Amino acid sequence: MKNLTPKTLKETLILLNEGDYKILAGGTDLMIQNRAWSNTLPKFNKDILLVFNLPELKYITLEDDCLHIGSTMTLEELLYHKLTPKLLVEAIKIMASPAIRNMATLGGNIGNASPAGDSLPVLYILNAIVVIESIERTRELPIEDLIIGPGKKTIQKNEIIKEIKIPMSNFTSIRFDKVGGRKADAISKISFAGVAKVKNNTIQDFRVSFGAVGPTVVRNKELEANVIGLTVDDMKVNIQEILNEFGNFIRPIDDQRSNKEYRKTVAINLLKSFILSL
Amino acid sequence: MAKIKFTLNNKQVEIEKSPTARLLDILREDFDFTGVKEGCGEGECGACAVLINDQIVNSCIVPLGTVEGKNIVTIEGFSKTKRHEVLRNAFEEEGAVQCGFCTPGMLIASESLLNKNPHPTDEEIKIGLSGNLCRCTGYNMIIKAVKSASKKGDGLW
Amino acid sequence: MKDISSSVRKVDSIIKMSGVAQYVDDIKISGMLYAKTVRSTKVKAIIKNIIIPELPSGYHTVDHSDIPGKNVVSIIFDDMPVFAEKEVKYYGEPIMLVVGEDKDVITDIISNIEIEYQEQTPVFEKIKSAINYHFVKGDSNKAFKNAKKIIKYDYETGYQEQLYIEPQGMIGEIENNKVTLTGSIQCPYYVKNAVKVVLDANDDEVRVKQAVVGGAFGGKEEFPSLMACELAVALRKIKKPIKLIYEREEDMQVTTKRHPAWIHMEAAINEFNEIDGLTAKAAIDAGASIGLSGVVLARALIASTGAYTIENIEVDGDVFLTNTVPNGAFRGFGAPQMLFAVEMFIHHIAKELDIDPLELRLKYLAKQGDATSTRGKFRDPIIMNDMIKKAMEMSDYKNKVKAYEEEGTYKGIGMSWFLHGCGFTGSGEADHIKALVKLEKGADDKVTILIAAVDMGQGIQTTMKKIVSHILNIPLDQIIYNKPDTDLVPDSGPTVASRTIMIVGGLVARAAKQLKEKWEDGKQIVVSERYKQPEYIKWDEDNFIGDAYPAYSWGVNIVEVEVCPVTYQVTLVGIWSVYDVGKAIDERIVMGQADGGILQGVGYGYLEVMRNENGRIVHKNVTDYIIPTTGDTPPMETFLIDNPYPLGPYGAKGAGELTLVGGAPAVALAIENAINKKVTRIPVTPEYIMELMKNG
Repeated sequence: MKNLTPKTLKETLILLNEGDYKILAGGTDLMIQNRAWSNTLPKFNKDILLVFNLPELKYITLEDDCLHIGSTMTLEELLYHKLTPKLLVEAIKIMASPAIRNMATLGGNIGNASPAGDSLPVLYILNAIVVIESIERTRELPIEDLIIGPGKKTIQKNEIIKEIKIPMSNFTSIRFDKVGGRKADAISKISFAGVAKVKNNTIQDFRVSFGAVGPTVVRNKELEANVIGLTVDDMKVNIQEILNEFGNFIRPIDDQRSNKEYRKTVAINLLKSFILSL
Repeated sequence: MAKIKFTLNNKQVEIEKSPTARLLDILREDFDFTGVKEGCGEGECGACAVLINDQIVNSCIVPLGTVEGKNIVTIEGFSKTKRHEVLRNAFEEEGAVQCGFCTPGMLIASESLLNKNPHPTDEEIKIGLSGNLCRCTGYNMIIKAVKSASKKGDGLW
Repeated sequence: MKDISSSVRKVDSIIKMSGVAQYVDDIKISGMLYAKTVRSTKVKAIIKNIIIPELPSGYHTVDHSDIPGKNVVSIIFDDMPVFAEKEVKYYGEPIMLVVGEDKDVITDIISNIEIEYQEQTPVFEKIKSAINYHFVKGDSNKAFKNAKKIIKYDYETGYQEQLYIEPQGMIGEIENNKVTLTGSIQCPYYVKNAVKVVLDANDDEVRVKQAVVGGAFGGKEEFPSLMACELAVALRKIKKPIKLIYEREEDMQVTTKRHPAWIHMEAAINEFNEIDGLTAKAAIDAGASIGLSGVVLARALIASTGAYTIENIEVDGDVFLTNTVPNGAFRGFGAPQMLFAVEMFIHHIAKELDIDPLELRLKYLAKQGDATSTRGKFRDPIIMNDMIKKAMEMSDYKNKVKAYEEEGTYKGIGMSWFLHGCGFTGSGEADHIKALVKLEKGADDKVTILIAAVDMGQGIQTTMKKIVSHILNIPLDQIIYNKPDTDLVPDSGPTVASRTIMIVGGLVARAAKQLKEKWEDGKQIVVSERYKQPEYIKWDEDNFIGDAYPAYSWGVNIVEVEVCPVTYQVTLVGIWSVYDVGKAIDERIVMGQADGGILQGVGYGYLEVMRNENGRIVHKNVTDYIIPTTGDTPPMETFLIDNPYPLGPYGAKGAGELTLVGGAPAVALAIENAINKKVTRIPVTPEYIMELMKNG
C-alpha cells in the first residue's frame, strides 16, 4: 500500500490526479470502518492520503457575507470559534465526544456522507455550498447535490473537499435536536434542524431538515416555500396538514438503533414542536 | 512506510511506520506505554485516550501520520505532573477508581477538560467526560473527584 | 481504633492511575505467539469437512484432535465443548485456534481455511427445556380455587452485556512442563480445574494466575475457563508462550450475557382483596449450552416473592436451549429478571384492586421470622421499614408519586424493594466449594493473606487487608495480599455470588483471630480456616426446601425520571438508595459498589438494548450497545444502615450484587408513573414508551 502524508494542498492534488486514493482526514469514521486486529494496519481497500494537517485547509473566514470554513477544521475548533453559526454550534455540541470532536473534521462529516452525520441537516438548511478542488478546476456544489446516498457523493476521484461556504442569514428561531440512544457519545436515531425568520407575525423564511430518516438528509424546499407568507397563526391552525405533507417524505428504516415507526413519529413530533415554538 | 517525528512524553521520537497505523498500537507496542488501554477499538470508550497538543483524542482511531510534529502525552507522561498528583489525590479521596481500566483515559479526559475550563460545573464535567465509559463506578465519584481537583488545584490549570 | 467502616485509600489505585498496573494484554513474554479463534459462521450445522491451507513454518492450528483429555469445559453442567468437533450449535462457536508470530499471517491463514457445513434448522423458540424446577409453599391450589379474582401478567426481560471495559484475555506459557495461565479472571480455581480435565493433567501441572482485572461483573466467572482450555491445549502442542486477547466485537458476540427471561405471574385475590396465593412461571434462554443456567434459574425462582412474604406459592421454571450464544453469570444472577417481574406485578395488582401500592406492599413486606419462598426462615432482623422510610424522606417520594400521577407532568418516581441472598445458593458452599483460607506470618511479622479471591475493582485488596489489620491491630502495609496464584493460595472459592466478604472475609477474620492467639514476634506461623455451614442451615436441593442462603442483604432504590413527550426519551433526574449490607468493611468502597451497581441496574431497565436476530447478536459493538455515560448519570445519594450479621466479619454481608438488582424495577416504575401506562418489559426504550403512549 502507498499510504502518504502530503505536505501541501498542491502536492495532494497532484497525487489525487495520478493515483486512486482514499482521502483520510481525522479518521473518526474511516479508521473505525476499516479497523482490524489490534497492532495490524486498518484494512483499507485503497491507498490513503492523509490530509488532516494540510495548512491550506485549516481556516475560517467571513468574506462577502459568506462564511468560509476550511474542510479540515475540526468540530472542536468550530465549537469554540466565534464565527461558527450558532445552529452549527448547537449540533456540534452534542456530536460524539470531546476526543472524537478533536479529530473529526467538517469536511470529513460531509465526505463520509452518513445519513446520521449530525452536521449535515444543519448544513442543508444553511444552504451550504461545498467547494471542491482538483488540479484542473475548482467547482462549487450545493451540499444536497454532493451527497446522493449513504456514503455516495458526486465527487470525482481527483477531487478534494476544500471548503464549506455558508451564506450568512438572520433567523428569529433556530433549533437542532439530536435523538440518540443516550445523552452523549451516540449515533443519531433521528436528528432535526430547523430555522425560521418571522417578522410581523409572518413567516419570511422557513427551512427544516431531518437526519437518519432516509438514505440522505431529508429537506424539501417546495414544502418550505408553501409556508412562506403565512402568518404564524395560520401555520399553527394548519399544522396537521403541514406535518402530513412533510411526513410523506420521511421514510425511515429499521436498524439496530431504532425502528421506522419511532423514527417517523419522532421526526414529525420534532417538526411539530419547532412549528409550535415559532 | 514513512518516518514520523513527534514529541512523546517530553521526548523527541521518530518512528518508521505506515501513516495509517493506529497511534494506540505504536504507543503500546513500539514505545511500551501500556497505560494506554484498548477497550473497544472504535473510538467509543475512551480507554485509549491520550493528549495531542493538550487535547484529548482516542488513540485507537488516530492515524499515526496525523501526529507528525505534535506533542503527545500518555498517562505515563501525565502521571509525572503536579496536575496528575492533584487529580490522583482527588480520585483516591472520592473513591473514583475501581477496576482501573478506564482510569488512565478518565484522567486524560479530566486534564483535557480542565485545560479548557479550569472550574467546570457538574454539567460541564459530565460533558467533558462523556466519551469515557466506565462500567464500575456509576461515574458519580469520578465527577466529584474532578470537581474537587479543580478546587484544590486552583491555578494549576 | 477507628470503626472498620471508616474509609481508607484503596491500596491498588496508585498503580492504576499511573498506568503501570499490568492487565493481561500489557504482559509481554519474549518469543510470544498470538492466537486467534476460528469460529462457526453458521448457527446450527454439521461440520462436513475442514480444509486448512498449507501452513508457513512456525504457524499452527489447534483443534479438538489436539486435546489430550476431555473436550469439555467443566463448569457446573459440562455440556460445552472446548472446540466444536462434528457440529456447531451457535454462531461464533470456537472450532480451532490459529497460532503464530505475525498477526497478518494468522489473519491470512484464517481467511483461507475452508469449512464445509451442512446447515440444520436452528431452534430459537422456547421449546427445548433442558432443566425444569418446580416447588411449592403452602397451598396455592386452594388459594386459586377460592379466589375472588385472579390477576395475570407476563413480563419480559432482555439480554444484558457485562461490558467490562477490558475485553477477555489470557496469556500462557509452559514452565518446567507446567502450563501456566495468567488471565483476566474471577475464579482462578474454576480455570485450573477446567484445564486439568482438558489436559488430563495432574494438580501440579497447571498453574493459574490473575492479572489485574479490568472489570468482570460475572462475565469473567465461567467464560475464561473456555479460553484457558483452548490456550492450554495450544500451549501443550506448541510449547511457546501464547497470548489470546479478544477484540471487543468478538467479545460481545461470543461471550456469555445475562439470560433473557419470560415470567408469567398470577395472583389469587380473596374477598378481602388480599393476595392469597401466587404462582410464578419463568423461562430463561440459556443459549446453546446449559453451563450455569440451572443455578441462574434457581436464584431467579427463589426470588419469586421478592422482599415479600406470600403464604401460598407455586413456582416453576425452565432453562431453554436455543441456537444462540450461551448465557451465563452476570451480577445478580437471575435475581434481576425475577425482581423486575415481582416489583411490577405487585404494583399492577394494586392498580387492578385500586389500592395504594405502598399500602399493599407494606402489608406483605417480609419480617424477621417469616418463612422464605422455600420454607426456610428469615432468621436475622429485617430493618426494611426504617430503610423505606429513610429512602422516601431522602427523595420526597410520597409527595412526588402523587403529584406525578397527574396527566401531562411526564415526570415519574419509582421505588423498588428487594433482597439478595448472600453466597452460593443452597448447599453450594458446604458441598461444592468448601472454602479454605490461610494466613502466613513471616519472621518479619508481615502477614500474607492466602486466598483465591480476585480484586476486579470491587476493592477486596483493600477490604481483606482491613479485616486482618483491625483484628491483629497492625498497619495495612504490614499485610500482603498478592493477586492469587493457584501455586501459592488455597481454594477459597470463586469470586462470585456476593460471597467474598461474607464467606471468605469471614474465614479470613477467623484465621486472623487464630493468628492473634498464636502470635509471637519474629516467628513464622501459618493458620488456616475451612468453611463450615452453620448447623441450622438445611437445604433440600431436589425439592427447594429450606434455607437457600445463610443470610440476606436488603435494599430500597428510588429513581426519578422525566419522559420527553416529543421524543419519548427518558432523563434520569435522581437516584436514592438505602442498603442493609450488615456492616460496611469500608464505607466508600460500598458506596462505589452502590453507585456502579445501581447505574448498571437502571441501565438494564431503560437503556441497554441487545437483540439476537436469527442467532446473531445485533448489538455487537460499543457503538450499538448503549450503556450510560456521564451524561446520563443523575445525582445519586446512598445511605447505609448497619444491621450486623453475626457470622460475617464485623457483621458484613454481601454488597456487590445487591446494588444492581433493584435498579430495573425502580426505573421502570418511575416511567410507569410518568406515562400512566403499565410497563411489562425491559428495557423500557423510547420506542416502547411510544408504543405504550400511543396504544396503551
